Amino acid sequence: MTTRIIVVTSGKGGVGKTTTSASFASGLALRGFKTAVIDFDVGLRNLDLIMGCERRVVYDFVNVIQGEANLHQALIKDKHCENLFVLPASQTRDKDALSEEGVEKVLKELEHMGFDYVICDSPAGIEHGAIMALTFADEALIVTNPEVSSIRDSDRILGILQSKSRRAKEGREAVKEHLVVTRYSARRVEEGEMLSYKDVQELLRVPLLGVIPESETVLQASNSGAPVIHTKESEAAEAYQDVVSRFLGEEREMRFVTYEKPGLLKRIFGGA
Amino acid sequence: MPFMAKPIEFKAGTLTAMSAVLREVDNVRLADALQVMLGGMGEFFAGEPTIIDISQAKSLPDRVDWSGLQSLLRRYGLQPVALRGAPEHLHDAARRAGLAVLGDEAAKLKAATTVHPVAAPVAEVMAEPAVGSTGAAPAPADSLPPSVGTMVVDRTIRSGQQIYAKGADLVILGAVSNGAEVIADGSIHCYGPLRGRAIAGAAGNRQARIFTTNFGPELISVAGVFRTFEKGIPAAIAGKPTQAQLRGEDDKAALVLDPLKLD
Repeated sequence: MTTRIIVVTSGKGGVGKTTTSASFASGLALRGFKTAVIDFDVGLRNLDLIMGCERRVVYDFVNVIQGEANLHQALIKDKHCENLFVLPASQTRDKDALSEEGVEKVLKELEHMGFDYVICDSPAGIEHGAIMALTFADEALIVTNPEVSSIRDSDRILGILQSKSRRAKEGREAVKEHLVVTRYSARRVEEGEMLSYKDVQELLRVPLLGVIPESETVLQASNSGAPVIHTKESEAAEAYQDVVSRFLGEEREMRFVTYEKPGLLKRIFGGA
Repeated sequence: MPFMAKPIEFKAGTLTAMSAVLREVDNVRLADALQVMLGGMGEFFAGEPTIIDISQAKSLPDRVDWSGLQSLLRRYGLQPVALRGAPEHLHDAARRAGLAVLGDEAAKLKAATTVHPVAAPVAEVMAEPAVGSTGAAPAPADSLPPSVGTMVVDRTIRSGQQIYAKGADLVILGAVSNGAEVIADGSIHCYGPLRGRAIAGAAGNRQARIFTTNFGPELISVAGVFRTFEKGIPAAIAGKPTQAQLRGEDDKAALVLDPLKLD
């Protein structure tokens, strides 16, 4: 199989790109695919923290691009799964250090190393770093919160994907788009305080890959340096598992999108 | 005797031209402004004849670098043919630079009602270029320009994207997202939710209309008459098949919205 390059992007910041990148990459690796996840957020790196490898960063993406280290030296093997490698961003450079030729060279080399998937964790915004993250993508995960500003920014990045990606520029088949709605609260949707995932999908007109419920376990996972997909009995973890399954072509019913009022027993004994 | 074709004939005609309304004649500042406006997109226009209108310029120097100004406009695909709104002392130099100097009649044609940089062309009389004012009446703005066809876009137009169907109708098979802009010199047909800005009749065609299967735009405009929806879209048409067209004369013209029955 040739390497598939997947950008995780959103336009807006703080919607869950890095969380999604970490869990999605881990999920693919857990299914046996050799996967690399690259942090494109040069200057504001976070992925290493969420993956829990921040103390093992010696060389980074920019070092590799500038020839100061080779890819083998910079790739960090994930401590949770066998087939996963992290390429951290540099914290001390700025995003202009990412040259198009440099990024292409690194991606080519990952292909030669036999990676099945390369996940590109995009920075927020629509500037150089975000453009570099999506330039070489075959597929895109559009991470969107159910609120209007996030939706508009996602729409903007979809337009950029249509015009700036290599696939678009070379007139090849368009980048395959997937919608991931994150920080979803079925209760607030029920109460009319939040757009439903159907509204989001209707506005963006991109096939829905999954809905990740708002969950405290996401924050706990981030703080403990283990992608949330590894957390046992967490709705967010299961939702990410579903995302990976659907991405790989399996049918999965949408879960955690309907709100059930807590019953009497649950109110007395407390919910899980 | 067989009819002998004359080697040259003179005929009066009308020509639709762009008006470049300059509020500055400093080429450096204009170059900056064009860069910002058109994002350095060379050849943004496609060789349209252009009238340089300096009637609104704030202050005019004694001399203007006409050839520099012309090459700046050409860089964006505009073809300067004439000058209007210029005081006497600038006329000779402009003529030497190959520009026809139009008189006051032409200058009075229309105050630019620009909603968009490409949306303010004005019908213009150009019978004898390089000879100066013609004094002829302008072409009626209502006359239909010959259609050059239809531009079809098979996808959703996303926020930040802009589509311009020059001299043509525009058909969109998809949505026009909030923050997107679709412009046509003819009519706009949107087979999907219209949520962004739609500007029809951008070259002044008052017969142009806007059609959509799902009405919810931020702004619509026909021939420079525009309408926003700050107080929301009337319930009778919100999210429904709708057409927008211009009714009424000149100053009283208004955009009328009607539900469309699609069966």
